[in-house]
Amino acid sequence: MRVVWAILSKDLLLEWRERARTLSVILFAAVTLLLFSFALGPDVEALRAGSPGFLTLALLLSSTLALNESFRLEREDRALEGLVMRPVGATGLFYAKALANAILLALLGPLVVALAVVLYSLEVGPGQTVGLIGCWMLGAAGLAAPGTLYAAMTSRLKTQDVALPILLFPLVIPVLLGSVKAMDLVLFGDAMGQLPSWISLLVAFDVVYWTVCGVLFRFAVEEGE
Amino acid sequence: MTGDLSQLAVEASGLGRRFGRAWALAHVDLAVPFGTSVWLRGANGAGKTTLLRMLASLSTPSRGRLSIAGLDAYREREAIRRQVALVSHALYLYPGLTARETLTLWLRLGSGVPDNSAIDELLADVGLTYAADRRVGGFSAGMRKRLALARAQVEAPRLLLLDEPFSSLDTAGCELVETWVRSFVAGGGTVILASHDHDRSLPLCETVVDLRDGQIVASGPGGESRAGELG
Amino acid sequence: MITFVSALVVTSAFMLLVDRHEARIRQLGSWLGPVFLLAGASTGLFLAPPERHMGEVQRIMYVHVPAAKIAMLFYLLAFVLAITSLWTSKPRWDDRMVAAIEVGVVLNALLLVQGSIWGRATWGVWWDWDVRLTTSLVMFLLFVGVLALRRMASSEDRRAQWGAVATIVAFIDVPLVYFCVRWWRSLHQVQSSPETVDPMMVLPLRLSLAGFLLLGMAGLLWRARIERARRSSDETPLPEKALMEETANA
Repeated sequence: MRVVWAILSKDLLLEWRERARTLSVILFAAVTLLLFSFALGPDVEALRAGSPGFLTLALLLSSTLALNESFRLEREDRALEGLVMRPVGATGLFYAKALANAILLALLGPLVVALAVVLYSLEVGPGQTVGLIGCWMLGAAGLAAPGTLYAAMTSRLKTQDVALPILLFPLVIPVLLGSVKAMDLVLFGDAMGQLPSWISLLVAFDVVYWTVCGVLFRFAVEEGE
Repeated sequence: MTGDLSQLAVEASGLGRRFGRAWALAHVDLAVPFGTSVWLRGANGAGKTTLLRMLASLSTPSRGRLSIAGLDAYREREAIRRQVALVSHALYLYPGLTARETLTLWLRLGSGVPDNSAIDELLADVGLTYAADRRVGGFSAGMRKRLALARAQVEAPRLLLLDEPFSSLDTAGCELVETWVRSFVAGGGTVILASHDHDRSLPLCETVVDLRDGQIVASGPGGESRAGELG
Repeated sequence: MITFVSALVVTSAFMLLVDRHEARIRQLGSWLGPVFLLAGASTGLFLAPPERHMGEVQRIMYVHVPAAKIAMLFYLLAFVLAITSLWTSKPRWDDRMVAAIEVGVVLNALLLVQGSIWGRATWGVWWDWDVRLTTSLVMFLLFVGVLALRRMASSEDRRAQWGAVATIVAFIDVPLVYFCVRWWRSLHQVQSSPETVDPMMVLPLRLSLAGFLLLGMAGLLWRARIERARRSSDETPLPEKALMEETANA
């Protein structure tokens, strides 16, 4: 447990030290939101209605950037191998990396939501804003677990930039749908009380994948079992 | 360094490793006790790195038997890693961390308590005190190598595997390695080093093993006396 | 429930029998599979009565439903094979796993095309986000992704391990995808159980089911055999043991 914290704090420290790169992820999310508004045109109603989708897609697209980044650090000097050599074990390593990724993505939340509120002229009260950020957090958690597992594998490939989205995106469709639906209900009202179901879907996905990926991680980072 | 001296540090029989079509190692038999040093000699591509990595449990053998400190290389890899430290071409360093932070991290990974004075001592041992709080990214190759050696010391292994330890180091750095190897062996550990540096490796190691095309083709005594013998 | 149990039974039977009886199963499947498929197709086309509401168009169900069920079965099999492959590290399980995925993917592609054709004939559109079809599309992408990842892996060991990891992760996703798409949208015709359907409709379904299963099994085993051959052709034999020399002049 202490060991997981050691690796996690190392990751966070390194991210902070290279904050230019972290900022670029934020910028990417912001640009994505902007692009959607241009794609749809200045139709305020359409933008509002589509905002849950745009927010979720911004999360998804910036996640691949963040995930690739987190393993790029490890590739110089093959540091990942060094970590594998320590008694920390692959599982501890997974949780440290996945948590670091989840935290980074979660931190984007308030900023990107604020930007969306402005760009798409969303009329939100404080409760709704918190709700939106909450949905973003659950989505980020859902992306971080399988994303870390796949990023560990694809970071070794030459085609890594392309490979990660190809593999990850079909997998996280439940997160995509869950996040969009939940945000939609938070923003536009939940007449039929569906929100708890969607939240439980997101939570179920998180629980399942944080467990399964932790178990499988050692096969992703070892050479020849 | 305590340890069951009747146990062999490395025991290999019929060891082989295949990568795709080629056999990088074949028919490797080794019996290396604790408290000794071995010089692994061979041309580039002879299989030295492959062998060292296998001894470090970073890759599993394709065939044959291998045990490190009595632990089976196929089934007890995690336990083996606790006993082994590898310093190779890849140094496992993070450019964004300082020297001190690197060692602290390594200590914490071994579930040790980060002890600042111990770290200071280590940094002094490898001559990096002046750079303790500088980021590794700005280090020269020699400085990185020294830090990697300090890092390996933190791991407190029983088996030390060194792949080209003298590369990138100046005379002082090389002497550091020699001192360390000697005291490590004196303390009951085993060192296996692969190197092209004949003048330093021969007097340092008790045994010489020649590797060619992945197979051991010769082995014999090394050491001071032998070096003296051959002028 | 019955479907799931029978899928488990078939999967377990396969895992237990395949090592010993591989050739036999393969031959059986190669011969009987087409026979059953043909029987299913002919009874479906000529013997079964037209459906009350949908008419002749409904006959595509006789190949669509079995293809869907057997595709799922092969994905389940791939999942079990993946776990076995990771557990034992024996290459033959990886060979079978990739074969199972490929059979599943082929059937999956088939069912997507069939579903699309049926949709066009009944609802007038080639695609309409129907729950099952959408889930099938996602499954298709997931498992094609597994095959792609395997291709990208540089070493044999990695290929097997990564492939198995991705298969396990993909398979677990399938029920999650299904549920969330169902909540999101639901239009698919409620599946009628055999009791409520004319017995003459059950026969072609069962025949086709058997046909796809048998032919799929044969396909799997042939493909596994090809993979095994490729693997052993890649394996060069151990070089001869070199003679020990005297330690060369140091």
